[in-house]
Amino acid sequence: MADFAVSSEPNGGTGSSFTAAPATQDSFKHRLPDGETQRPWSGRYGIDSGDRRFSFSRNQSFKPQLLRNDSCIGTGNSVRNRSVLYQMASVLLAVRSGNRQVRRLALLISLNVAYSTVELMIGLLTGRVGLVSDSFHLTFGCGLLTFSLFAMTAAQKKPDGIYTYGYKRLEVLAAFTNALFLLFMSFSLAVEALHAFIQDESEHKHYLIVSAVTNLLVNLLGVWFFRNYARVNIAYRKAEDMNCHSICLHVLADSIRSAGLVLASWLLSLGVENAEVLCLGLVSAAVFVVILPLFRATGGVLLQQVPANVPTSAFNKCLRQVTALEEVSEVTRSRFWELVPGRAVGSLSILVKGGENGHSVLHYVHELYHDLGIQDLTVQTDHV
Amino acid sequence: MEERTTPSSQVIEVNIDVTPGMSSVAGNKICGGAACDFSDSKNSSKDAKERSASMRKLLMAVVLCIVFMTVEVVGGIKSNSLAILTDAAHLLSDVAAFAISLFSLWASGWEATPRQSYGFFRIEILGALVSIQLIWLLVGILVYEAIVRIIYDSGKVQGSLMFAVSTFGLVVNIIMAMLLGHDHGGHSHAHGGFGHDHDHAHEHPDHEDSHAHDGHDHNLEHGEEHFHCHGVSVTSHHHQHHRHNDVKEPLLKHSGDHSTSKSASEGTKEHQRNINVHSAYLHVLGDSIQSIGVMIGGAMIWYKPEWKIIDLICTLIFSVIVLVTTIRMLRNILEVLMESTPREINATMLEKGLCELEGVIAIHELHIWAITVGKVLLACHVTITPEANADDVLDKVIGYIKREYNISHVTIQIERQY
Repeated sequence: MADFAVSSEPNGGTGSSFTAAPATQDSFKHRLPDGETQRPWSGRYGIDSGDRRFSFSRNQSFKPQLLRNDSCIGTGNSVRNRSVLYQMASVLLAVRSGNRQVRRLALLISLNVAYSTVELMIGLLTGRVGLVSDSFHLTFGCGLLTFSLFAMTAAQKKPDGIYTYGYKRLEVLAAFTNALFLLFMSFSLAVEALHAFIQDESEHKHYLIVSAVTNLLVNLLGVWFFRNYARVNIAYRKAEDMNCHSICLHVLADSIRSAGLVLASWLLSLGVENAEVLCLGLVSAAVFVVILPLFRATGGVLLQQVPANVPTSAFNKCLRQVTALEEVSEVTRSRFWELVPGRAVGSLSILVKGGENGHSVLHYVHELYHDLGIQDLTVQTDHV
Repeated sequence: MEERTTPSSQVIEVNIDVTPGMSSVAGNKICGGAACDFSDSKNSSKDAKERSASMRKLLMAVVLCIVFMTVEVVGGIKSNSLAILTDAAHLLSDVAAFAISLFSLWASGWEATPRQSYGFFRIEILGALVSIQLIWLLVGILVYEAIVRIIYDSGKVQGSLMFAVSTFGLVVNIIMAMLLGHDHGGHSHAHGGFGHDHDHAHEHPDHEDSHAHDGHDHNLEHGEEHFHCHGVSVTSHHHQHHRHNDVKEPLLKHSGDHSTSKSASEGTKEHQRNINVHSAYLHVLGDSIQSIGVMIGGAMIWYKPEWKIIDLICTLIFSVIVLVTTIRMLRNILEVLMESTPREINATMLEKGLCELEGVIAIHELHIWAITVGKVLLACHVTITPEANADDVLDKVIGYIKREYNISHVTIQIERQY
């Protein structure tokens, strides 16, 4: 941290770290232009590197803390309520020029849409309700995946006057919506199992096998596309981690459901009683268990929880270190939250005893919290 | 932070309580408990009152819903009609939505913990989001059912029964809508600066009208001057209060740049109805719209039993209408969740105003966001001239923001330019 000549001289100090130019130089660019690159770990707080869930990041391209950008508010390109058509067009453009994940997702969505349309047509023409209901389910899922796609493309946008923190939160939102939908699905499958149990009629629709198998294949393809995320517990390092994880779990849950249907009809043909109830129950429980960690993680980010990858003891330690400074009399209102995984924001209020060395305290505090991974910190110093 | 009138002297007091002296009252609390800014004594009692009023309303709605649902279930089993049972299932979904809203309301009052440094206010928003997703899900299920009915072509549909059941459902929904949306309808404009009167309005419905009219007249005649008095409870001091405004110089000075805050306060007062109650209200509204659709369909089928396709068409049309009613609220929720600058705050003017303050050179990293509808936070870095007094500028900035934009949760980092 050689950038910081921490000067403890009052007013007339050299302050060489603080030149007059900063206010306008690339001020409208977002502070972390290189996005969220993988960062090496810092084991400073004694967290074992084998425990992936407690990895926190350290910014490599470190700008001196107090040379900040101008606020995005004055840039004048803040437009609310862009028309839907404009947004759709921008999504299509972004897909064409997007990275691999985006293109794969677009492919997946188009496959699903095609399949669901075909199924709907066949269902309507032949009058089979099962096919129609399956295609509806698929369409709902497609809608969600489209929202995820939109979030992926829109998240690249630079922050503007209305969304001063940028658009990355959309990815977390999309992940949350996916998780919510899967929870609904698990719940409805449980209801269906109950229904089958009470009704006790196995009017099993054998013609659904074909559709179930095709569904399974399409979804397994999706899982293959996103195979990096095919785990239940993932340490989220950047925003798109959550989105891609939710997509993967979505297709995984769909494939579990199709597999369950196939299994149920096979068991029924073998003559097993209550096969449908059993399989539906199993599928419902499996989907629930699989989706819960993602739901909690995204819910936590949306609830303005403290960053999940930083343990409370680390915060307490920082707090003690700040209070241990001789100029500081107390620290109040320390609040932290996570914008997206990998970008944490915080604010503190410090009571400083006398003198004009607020500057050095500021530097110290910023540096301290930066090591924890909290890049955006606003520190209010009140002089007693 | 709040301006009060004392009945005796008609003096308007402005309290800005962010000075260092005050924060030591908070003690060495890191973030927790009642000393947290979000729940200092004045705010928390007001919050708690609003919250318990909303909870009471929702509780009544839930009880009513359950009663009607049991009536329908009993009736449906007795008359062996599937239509009535499905309507009962629909009421069950209403109960679920109310339960979510109730839980969100209750949970948002929990105190802050070390992991939730801002408290649990966001739960309201997430609960409302889940509620709206439920509405969309139900609409989807209804459309699906309508299509299935067409395909299955299951014999004759009894138009009369459809009509009767849906009328009953409509009446139930209208009762609940009136219960939930009690302070809605007409008064939201007149309530300009009197939003805090809401609790007052519950207990004295007869007073409400007189206040609204007085307030309205005043607003018409005297444009912006009233909107400073956000926290004032003007139950009986209308006229004296108003006269006093003419005399008070410093207040009038600001009336010029208050054209924005007028629309701002009107905007915020609409939000004063708790977002969870509002989402439950939307749910009930959606149900009544659907019931109207089914009524129309049932009447037509009753009249001409061959027109079964009407059922599907009606369902589709009215489903779209229901979805459209939820869009506005969904947009508000999304904006809060995306940490965007709230609509009622004009950020460019705020930044300009701050820059014009004495001693301020530039503003950096200005972020304004809301933790829930109505609770706005602000954080920014202010660069000051080498000679300025940091404390002074800090006080001025915080005072300006509180006065003009009524944002009380402010964190300012003062940086001196050497």
